[in-house]
Amino acid sequence: MTTLLKVDALSKSYRQQGFWLNRKSTTVLSPISFSVEAHKTLAIIGEAGSGKSTLAKILVGAERPSGGSIYLNDQLLKKGSFKHRCQHVRMIFQDSGTTLNPSLTILQLLDEPLKLNTSFDVNKRKELIRTTLQKVGLLGDHMNFYPHMFSGGQKQRISLARAIILQPQVIILDEALAALDPSLRSQMINLLLDLQQQMGLAYILISHNLGIIRHFSDDIMVLSQGKVVESGKTLEVMNNPQHKVTQKLLMNQNFQLKPNRKTR
Amino acid sequence: MNLLDIRNLSIELLHDEQRILAVDKVSLSMKEGEVRGLVGESGSGKSLLAQAIVGVLNDKWHVHADRFHWRGVDLLRLSIAERKVILSRDIAMIFQEPMACLDPTTTIGEQLSEAIDEQSLTGFFWQKKQQRNQAAVKLLHKVGIKKPDTCLDSYPHQLTETLCQRVMIAIALARRPMLLIADEPTAAMENTNQGQIFRLLASLNQLKKMSILLISHDLENITHWTNTITVMYSGQFVEAGTTEQIFNKPLHPYTKALVDSSPSANFHLPAKSRLMTLPGSIPILQHLPIGCRLGPRCPRAQKACVIAPTVTNFHGHKVSCHFPLLPIKSSAKAVKSSAKAVKGAC
Amino acid sequence: MARDKIYLEEVFPSPFMQHWQIFRKTPVAMAGFSCFIFLIVLAIFGPILAPHSPVEGQLDMLLLPPAWHADGNVSYLLGTDELGRDMLSRLMYGTSLTFGLSFVVVITSLIVGVVIGSLSALTTGLKSSFLNHFLDVILSIPSLLLAIIIVAILGPGINNTVWAVVMVLIPQFIHITRYAVKEESRKDYVLASRLDGASKFRILYYSIFPNIVDRIMSQATLAQSAAILDIATLGFLGLGAQIPLPEWGATLANGLDLFYIAPWTVYLPGLAILFAVVATNLVGEGIRHALKLRKDR
Repeated sequence: MTTLLKVDALSKSYRQQGFWLNRKSTTVLSPISFSVEAHKTLAIIGEAGSGKSTLAKILVGAERPSGGSIYLNDQLLKKGSFKHRCQHVRMIFQDSGTTLNPSLTILQLLDEPLKLNTSFDVNKRKELIRTTLQKVGLLGDHMNFYPHMFSGGQKQRISLARAIILQPQVIILDEALAALDPSLRSQMINLLLDLQQQMGLAYILISHNLGIIRHFSDDIMVLSQGKVVESGKTLEVMNNPQHKVTQKLLMNQNFQLKPNRKTR
Repeated sequence: MNLLDIRNLSIELLHDEQRILAVDKVSLSMKEGEVRGLVGESGSGKSLLAQAIVGVLNDKWHVHADRFHWRGVDLLRLSIAERKVILSRDIAMIFQEPMACLDPTTTIGEQLSEAIDEQSLTGFFWQKKQQRNQAAVKLLHKVGIKKPDTCLDSYPHQLTETLCQRVMIAIALARRPMLLIADEPTAAMENTNQGQIFRLLASLNQLKKMSILLISHDLENITHWTNTITVMYSGQFVEAGTTEQIFNKPLHPYTKALVDSSPSANFHLPAKSRLMTLPGSIPILQHLPIGCRLGPRCPRAQKACVIAPTVTNFHGHKVSCHFPLLPIKSSAKAVKSSAKAVKGAC
Repeated sequence: MARDKIYLEEVFPSPFMQHWQIFRKTPVAMAGFSCFIFLIVLAIFGPILAPHSPVEGQLDMLLLPPAWHADGNVSYLLGTDELGRDMLSRLMYGTSLTFGLSFVVVITSLIVGVVIGSLSALTTGLKSSFLNHFLDVILSIPSLLLAIIIVAILGPGINNTVWAVVMVLIPQFIHITRYAVKEESRKDYVLASRLDGASKFRILYYSIFPNIVDRIMSQATLAQSAAILDIATLGFLGLGAQIPLPEWGATLANGLDLFYIAPWTVYLPGLAILFAVVATNLVGEGIRHALKLRKDR
């Protein structure tokens, strides 16, 4: 397997507002290195404030890192260049309700990335939008709808359509499954897995539902206060957690029934 | 004796001169000291049901029930004012977003002492303030807040989400309720904090014999903490039984799908295999299917499903389905009886 | 494909159309809106429709009462003033001056304000603050006083009144646009479209403007009623429209001396001002009401 995305000593720190001598900087991410292969899923877990969302934002380009570099297919991704990056790295947000512009139709929403990043003509774009909508389990007819006419699960599918329409290689899921109901969530997981097989996508999954992570991911990385405290194959880490933070996170997930009634 | 006994509670919404049955004949009963989970996806009417029990629905909603007993008292016979007195004395409720439920401009201490019952204070009026304060500190102790004095003086935005939820529970406990309704108390929280709140609720249940109705959209989340579970779908009753029954031997196809769809409940599943799931999504209120509302999504749906099924009881495991997932012997009986019911209805 | 067109019979109202549909169902707002349209039509075609000249008087028809009065004359429906000028024609010409000019004033200051406001929202730091606040100085002087100062420098006249009112209204539009754009830019869909590689102006035009247009429109109606009152007041004080012009405020001031003999020369322009302001406010109220209802859904 070839390495798709390689992150080398990526770090982020904020400069706090203050007077000249009084300036302090807070470190959100200490230098982090990891790599993701095609067809694989990397899960990132950690407590609130451990820097996982910041990492996602830096990877997709919404924030600039303070140091380090990101390589995609051994090519350096320049800071702040969306044009190149958005064709390869895409993101799905947690709340699909706010990521879809309420006054545009689905057609216009999905057309935007195509218009900006490809040289297809109108008919080609429309055809592509139709097939992409069908790929995520919606109808081509839905393209004339406005976002408020969809339910939460369908909106998440549209977000997914928007993410895959440029044929990217890496998709970042920032708690993208957390707000969904269980049955819709497993529909979405199935869909994501299918797409991974078809398109060879690599996912970076940020979640706090360990059940999903166990099912979905190949590798896992545990963050705590901006540092990687543990990483490895998901099953190995989950069955034999070494670090205190990992153990604490795993302990709080209650897989079974009340222990005293575990009769099975 | 049942603490709460509700039979066939329906909630109707008047919308554009059209009546929509948002909750369709749901029964719910709770024993003393029981922790019951109420599970349903968004739009299943579980929050509506809770609000109807506490009586805080506004005029748009019409509630009626065949039976509504609270500790043996028939609440339907009482006037609204009398009902309110009983309910506000005995039932407390906590909500999803604790931050939003606390007044941002007053301190925790003031909000807490407001909730303390006047009658529990014995002294003269100049002693009352002190007593109130002591009672507030005691309450905060009960919910496991380590520095009650600093907490009393702070404003909601200075506390974390978990602390706010603890304060909400403390306010709910102030009147020593018999029943605590927790409407997704941990929806917006991280895992570690979820555990804390659930453990607190469990210890309150053990120590104070307080019954808890735990509402959640996620079955796997609450199974660890509940004795019994009621499952709802799209405003209809689906299944009720002990946690064990629901989780290990679900009778209703919907419950089965819920259990199967949860990856954490199915260890044996190989990673990255397809998860069991129902097609489609929960119908919206304006376009409800007739009969069993699961019908269009149900893998076992047959012709009979256009008529709403009645509740069948299998050794305390209640299920509302024409074709429950039974071991073969008893299922034949059940199908026969439901077929009769269908014929009768036709 | 057979399943391709199953939704074709339904219409998909855009949020803006939804807004209009809610607005249309509010009778009071619709009444205000039709009056508003009526006034606009009158402002444009008034000079063509008017039966008499607003400036030249008939010397044999001085102070004729309105037609419903016993001494009235049907060809002078609303009577005449002390120089024998037809009141109806004067009011119709006045519509294009008071109402029409206020409309133009609002459109001008809206365009200027929205452009400066969105520039201010897109830039940061000192530039943003400067763009946001450099016209705030104007807010420190009451609009009438400002107009008086402008008139004192440039001399009285309706042109200078218009400039004064435009200047007063601009800062309001700057502030509301800047605030609305900033608020929208914080939302996730703006980030999403930024990640698509959209430029700042593209985001502003395609993503943000459709979502704030109703808020700006509601502010515009508030500004319009203020503009009508300002223009009329300045006319009344003799600082705005000058004597022969049939501006409503000036007409009202003109008739004040003869109030006991010919009250219609005062109450008719007064009623016209009231009518225009109430119609505008009803439209604004309707827009805000619809906005609130749509948010609640």
